[in-house]
Amino acid sequence: MLTYIIRRVLILIPMAFVICFLVYLGLELTPGDAVSHMINPDAAGSMNPAQLEALRQSLGLGQPFHVRFWSWFTNLLQGNFGYSMSGGVPIANIIATRLPATLELAAVALVFSTVIGSLLGVVSALKRGSKTDSALTVIGMLGVSIPEFFFGLVAISIFALNLGWFPVGGRSMPGYLTLWDRLPHMVMPAMVLSIMLTAGVMRYARSSMLDALSRDFIKTARSKGLPEWRVNLLHGFRVALTPVVVLIGFRLPVLIGGSVIIEQVFQWPGIGNEFISAVRSQDYPVVMTIALLSVMAVLVASLIVDILTAVIDPRVRLGE
Amino acid sequence: MTATQDIAISVRDLKTFFYTNNRCNKALNGVSFDIKKGKTLCIVGESGCGKSVTAASIMQLLPTLSRIEQGEIIYHADRGDIPLHALEKNGRHMRRIRGAEIAMIFQDPMTALNPVYSVGFQIKESLRYHMKMVGRAAHQKAISLLKEMGIALPEKRVNDFPHRYSGGMRQRAMIAMAMACNPKVLIADEPTTALDVTIQAQIFELMDKLKREHGTGIMLITHDMGVVAELADDVAVMYMGNIVEAGTVDEVLRQPTHPYTKALLASVPVLGKGKNQDIKAIRGSTPDPLNRPKGCQFADRCDFATAQCQTMPEETHITPTHRVMCWRYKELVPNG
Repeated sequence: MLTYIIRRVLILIPMAFVICFLVYLGLELTPGDAVSHMINPDAAGSMNPAQLEALRQSLGLGQPFHVRFWSWFTNLLQGNFGYSMSGGVPIANIIATRLPATLELAAVALVFSTVIGSLLGVVSALKRGSKTDSALTVIGMLGVSIPEFFFGLVAISIFALNLGWFPVGGRSMPGYLTLWDRLPHMVMPAMVLSIMLTAGVMRYARSSMLDALSRDFIKTARSKGLPEWRVNLLHGFRVALTPVVVLIGFRLPVLIGGSVIIEQVFQWPGIGNEFISAVRSQDYPVVMTIALLSVMAVLVASLIVDILTAVIDPRVRLGE
Repeated sequence: MTATQDIAISVRDLKTFFYTNNRCNKALNGVSFDIKKGKTLCIVGESGCGKSVTAASIMQLLPTLSRIEQGEIIYHADRGDIPLHALEKNGRHMRRIRGAEIAMIFQDPMTALNPVYSVGFQIKESLRYHMKMVGRAAHQKAISLLKEMGIALPEKRVNDFPHRYSGGMRQRAMIAMAMACNPKVLIADEPTTALDVTIQAQIFELMDKLKREHGTGIMLITHDMGVVAELADDVAVMYMGNIVEAGTVDEVLRQPTHPYTKALLASVPVLGKGKNQDIKAIRGSTPDPLNRPKGCQFADRCDFATAQCQTMPEETHITPTHRVMCWRYKELVPNG
């Protein structure tokens, strides 16, 4: 098992390197360079080409591609992501302030949807054909098919504006320091973020569970005289878990990259919100860093999924 | 007839029906037989004749849309007779018998073991629930069971997952699991269909050994006449939910009386006769179970059918142990 994990982590290193390279190459291929973004076209037109060239040289842009890539990459490894062009703030600082907010939301949504989603899915599968099952199926369909922002707006309209139970948006108010203080702010975005994931997990868990329950080993387990809970949970659910873990795992990068829409709707100061404003102000270094972060999140998530599936299903442990 | 104390399970006039799409399939239509202690009863018949349903009825493992409509299944336990048909399907009483006193092995050992648990874990589950044996004792017992089933290096193999076992080994592991609590009756539903012939022979040898050493009554479901000749003490031939002929292995194989049994035996290819031998396939095909012929189910395919066959023949005893369901059995009894 340990060999498997080590091997899996080692594979990750070249993959991460290749991804960094591709992201950098992508930016290189866009027309213009940093200077053309820094100086507006009117001003650039009136400037002396020699001045522009001098600026390029001073920024190191005259260097060949591989040299620039290498210096960018080594900076990256030291945690130096460069500076935001609109504010001149180090991007590392931006990430450091934004990421916790996003992670906080993601963690709540992930835990909630995993627990509630699998639970409802299993109940639905065990009571197949019952009224509970039909009701849950319909709710699940609605959950996955109605877009998140709609739920967000409805929630704001009902619970914030009419009932006044929760604040309309934001993460905290001045003076709110503890998590407990900020909890009311988190309820709505976390719940809305959870809806789609919960519905997805539920539908997945249901079909996966039904599939597992129809397998021969369930009959074997019953024929051994095991109690029903053990047959259903230990033999059924354990096998049904693998596809569910994969689904949840691959939702993880989306949550870490920031749920752009939800953060926008609730004015949540997370990565997703930052991403939107960076795109609007054409702040390329920030956009690039967030993109890189999302891609790395995909890598990490797939690593976690691989390790978890190997824990759940021994057949996955390759080369043991 | 055999004395009652030698019988492990007696099934009387068992009717199990399936209800699908508002139609009723009479999968078992009045089946009676005994499983004797320390003997092997082979149930033979073609696909869909109700062999597996019989096994599932005894184990109370029928699918949701089916139920035991009539008849009784009596398990003659040491503590008295237990009517299995009356027990709640997954209730406490049924569960106590399942796996402990009546165990079952299935057709396909590739899918019958749970892939995510080690073989040892799955054997120990039985021990834990029926013998209250846990921890080191259970582990040692699991190892000795695997050893008894002829698995090499059981100390190491006990921790292996099923995918690291070969097909034959998995079936051995299944048998180890079934035999864990030393059951009175072992029901084997075509245990070697998915295995190749050499492994098949080994598995049957193993089952025969268990029967002799532990006095386990075995109900073996098969469609292989060679297996019947080799292993059976008693034989029941099923066709479309009825036992059309039953008796000791000598009676049924040497003096087949029912036209179906005769036809079944005539359709077996004989090794060494070459590829041009004349195999007498039974003409026609099995009737639609939802649209059955009236009377004798085999009449349409039978060379001996008469007008009388439009009504269901009675079960008739030729000898105390040999019985047949056919109107014309008298003419068909060999040397009789």
